[in-house]
Amino acid sequence: MNTYRFLIDYFNDSPTIIQATWIVIGLFSILILGLILYLKYLRGHLRKKESITVAYEQEYEAALITYLYAGNDEEEISSEQQAIIDLLKNGAKEPFKRKILIAVLLKLKNEISGEVAESIQNLYYQTELVDYALSRLSHKKWYVIAKGIRELKQFQIKEAYNPVIIHLNHPRPEVRKEMQLYMVNLFYFEGLTFLDLLETPLSEWDQIQLLEILQKLENQNISNITSWLQSSNDSVIIFALKLAKIYNQLEAKNEIIQLLHHINKKVRLEAIDVLSYLNVLEAKEILKTDLQKRSQEEQIAVFKMIENLYENDDESFIMKYIHDDLFEIKIIALKILKRINREKFCSLKSESSDDSFLRIVNFIENN
Amino acid sequence: MNGAKKIVLAEDNSMLSKLLKFKLEKEGYSLFIADNGKKTIELIEEHNPELILTDIMMPFVSGLEVISHVRNKLNLLTPIVVFSAAGQEQIVLKAFDLGATDFMSKPLSPNELVLRVKRLLS
Repeated sequence: MNTYRFLIDYFNDSPTIIQATWIVIGLFSILILGLILYLKYLRGHLRKKESITVAYEQEYEAALITYLYAGNDEEEISSEQQAIIDLLKNGAKEPFKRKILIAVLLKLKNEISGEVAESIQNLYYQTELVDYALSRLSHKKWYVIAKGIRELKQFQIKEAYNPVIIHLNHPRPEVRKEMQLYMVNLFYFEGLTFLDLLETPLSEWDQIQLLEILQKLENQNISNITSWLQSSNDSVIIFALKLAKIYNQLEAKNEIIQLLHHINKKVRLEAIDVLSYLNVLEAKEILKTDLQKRSQEEQIAVFKMIENLYENDDESFIMKYIHDDLFEIKIIALKILKRINREKFCSLKSESSDDSFLRIVNFIENN
Repeated sequence: MNGAKKIVLAEDNSMLSKLLKFKLEKEGYSLFIADNGKKTIELIEEHNPELILTDIMMPFVSGLEVISHVRNKLNLLTPIVVFSAAGQEQIVLKAFDLGATDFMSKPLSPNELVLRVKRLLS
């Protein structure tokens, strides 16, 4: 009691700053104690949840294995399989259990092919999990929609084409990305028809992902890309140009040549690169006539094209650029000249007295 | 079951290992399951199996290290079938260099696996 009294007196007699400090210490101590108790509760809760998850996982794994091998030749679905379907269907009513069940199904589906994979797909229908995924597509939250589309893609539910493509121009890029991956994973090149209606930008990352999937396909017969080359969406044009390059779409060269005059510089640059790759000589002649009107980047791209597609007739054109202000153009022009007419290239050394120019010529001559 | 040929299956996907265990045991083989490379080596040393099925990518000790251990340390000629995923072609070639007998790419067909196992153990 005396100690308590002493502490009270000590506090009351202390200066205000000391009193304030003690109050702050007291408050922080309560806060820290509260946090420790909360973390203890949280850890216990997470551990409990984890052990419940593991228990359900094991239950569903065992049920799935039994389902896969409980069939017989007489019935389409044996009574044992039907009991498992009923058990899983019942479990799927709870979102927590449904999540575990889907994870278990996917865990095996991704690793297996043939009859077993088909059985898992059938089970996905029979347990009505497909209906839950489809219902997510009309949810008001974007991430629920995105997850729904991803699940339908993972289980290869082609019947969901119409409700999925509705999200073609969804305001969230995550939803659009899932929609695009669904289309290409399930319908391959035909799935790219969503590009006809795409109004939102197709990001560089989206394009890489789509190309990666397409390149893994056994059937490499690409659909007609000309309509995408004429799209009002610039990102679609750039993607179509990438397709033209990867799949050597020389039949689309006229449409690509048209793009040399596109309003977007990025499209023009990409078109020059693709035409160079496809060895379209007509494009070179067009670009030579209006080179001065083009940006520096385009001029450099054109010279890279000429370096790839040069002919002897290009000499007079090239000669005009061997002293160009742009270093890259000067270098490429000299390189081309060396290949077209080595004698003339060597004569440059005696004709010029500019030290830096001569250094460039000497370097190109020796490399 | 005592006369059954022994197979060690090394696979970190519990679902897949359960499925293959079920399938192969139905065919009359005796299965020992490991979910990592370290346990695989222990099971091989303990049971001296007639066949080893191993995934290439596993925690702690990889499938390649398992093959190397079997061929170079234990000096066993036990057939080894490796499971690989798409894009692991270079690792599969390494596995063959180390002494793998056969490979199957994932997603794999259990029926095809049974045929290969039968062929290797016939």
